[in-house]
Amino acid sequence: MTSASYAVPMRDSALVLGIETSCDETGVALVRATADASELLVDAVASSVDEHARFGGIIPEIASRAHLESFVPTLQRALAEADVTLADVDAIAVTAGPGLVGPLTVGAAAAKALAVALDKPLYGVNHVIGHAVVDELVHGLFPDRCLALVVSGGHTSLLLVEDAVTGVTELGHTLDDAAGEAFDKVGRLLGLPYPGGPHIDRLAREGDPTAIRFPRGLTAAKDQAKHADDFSFSGLKTAVARWVEAKQDAGEEIPLADVAASFAASVADVLTAKTIAACRRHGVDTLVVGGGFSANSQLRDLLAERCAHAGIELRIPPIRYCTDNGAMIAALGAAVVRRGLPASPLDLAVDSSMPLTQVLVGSPAA
Amino acid sequence: MLLALDTSADITVALVSADGTAALAARRVPEQRRHAELLSPLVAEVLRDAGTDRRAVTAVVVGTGPAPFTGLRAGLVTARTLAFALGVPVHGVCSLAALAAQAFGDRAAEPGDDVVVLTDARRREVYHARYAARTEAPGALALRHGPGVARPADLVASGALAHAVVVGPGAVLHADDVAGLPGGPDRGPQHVDPVVLARLALARAELGVGQPVEPLYLRRPDVMPAGGRRRATG
Ligand SMILES: [Zn+2]
Repeated sequence: MTSASYAVPMRDSALVLGIETSCDETGVALVRATADASELLVDAVASSVDEHARFGGIIPEIASRAHLESFVPTLQRALAEADVTLADVDAIAVTAGPGLVGPLTVGAAAAKALAVALDKPLYGVNHVIGHAVVDELVHGLFPDRCLALVVSGGHTSLLLVEDAVTGVTELGHTLDDAAGEAFDKVGRLLGLPYPGGPHIDRLAREGDPTAIRFPRGLTAAKDQAKHADDFSFSGLKTAVARWVEAKQDAGEEIPLADVAASFAASVADVLTAKTIAACRRHGVDTLVVGGGFSANSQLRDLLAERCAHAGIELRIPPIRYCTDNGAMIAALGAAVVRRGLPASPLDLAVDSSMPLTQVLVGSPAA
Repeated sequence: MLLALDTSADITVALVSADGTAALAARRVPEQRRHAELLSPLVAEVLRDAGTDRRAVTAVVVGTGPAPFTGLRAGLVTARTLAFALGVPVHGVCSLAALAAQAFGDRAAEPGDDVVVLTDARRREVYHARYAARTEAPGALALRHGPGVARPADLVASGALAHAVVVGPGAVLHADDVAGLPGGPDRGPQHVDPVVLARLALARAELGVGQPVEPLYLRRPDVMPAGGRRRATG
């Protein structure tokens, strides 16, 4: 039971519909792919984030129910805003993983229904790679070689990208918490509302990032040998907890802004230093940064400063491209179509822990 | 030509003639977990088997459960999306109603009977609904009670099964609880027939009854509320 394994004829251009439902955002976007560019026509998103806030985390069943209700209306909105009809669509790309199984399943089922109803090829693609490739919509197609840092609530990965679809190698990843996850946990520790990331970012701007010297994970010489391109944030989180609790036990007031700024400084320092070192080690002069956590202002500032100093071209798309959305999936779908790769089978299964070696379902994992 | 599908238990798809009498092509896969993987490929297969163009579909009919969450959602999002993409209406029909209509059609129940349909809700519970045949509108049913979700023993104790023919896979699964109640040893229809689903949708359209394509979850989502400020040490 496979769909026709044919490539989309590129002719002058191909219109790719992207569908993203791996977490709590229902995203539908349209990207026009030509031989040398990917152009975003529309990026429609519906979010159930407010329904999860009172639980202090994403509830998969609530997100899944919201995806079912939001999908067709979001698709309708995208088509109307782009002033195109479904008959104009040449290919459908959908997040196949990684992510939450229930939410992923809704998007995959919808994408398959479209593939059958339109008789167009379906591409199941990797969400994390999408966070990097979305930058092709902003800064043009990737150069022959670049490094990509994907940082979000669920992922912290360093990728060597020699081709956006067929040449992605994972150099390293977090050994415990993702960067965004560490922010949410420290946010909870400081009594901030969920999700903690934006609140800490705001607080940190009023604090002194040098007030407290928190540890830098996996930067010691012994760790550099074994985990040069890996990250770890759980030790930092524990260090913040100990520091805060020591103050509490002593009956002292907690300088929340200084704690937030010093914690954020540690995260930004480690991410930036290790990433730039990896660029040097791999002889790469372009760095692409994506994922929801790349909205973090300390990280953006430090990356800009250090990349300029190291002579590395830094590509970070505007914040609206960094969160989960259909544009990242349409962008990756466009990259797949541009390479003329065969469609994914229509009976594809979503994979909550889809490996980064697999960019496209149906393609052999590297 | 109607496209009818149900994912409330196993996966079943049919292309049904416009008058709701015959399946032009049909598929049923006894698979309880892979609805999202297999449903659209089955739709493509029935279209191919019937040798018809997908643009000949005039309406989509979908079973709305009640059912466990994930498979039911795969069916509903597939039906809604197919209908939107094909530019045709989509009708939702309670999956228990199809089984009740099948019981009358199979003569497991007679026209004057009430039928209670039981299906597996897991967690040692059943989904249930009680119907009577509507003599003034052949093919249509009158819903007397439900749909709901309950323990079989509680249903019996409540009197909800009294003076009714009790059918469905839930009645087989909990045979001890319903022993002695009418329904025969086989307990009537065990699988939703998509042709009947389509026929019910047509009958209800005739009566002008709304047919919302809303999932009958009947249970709240399981949630794990997170705590407030917590100590990470000592
Ligand atoms: Zn993401």
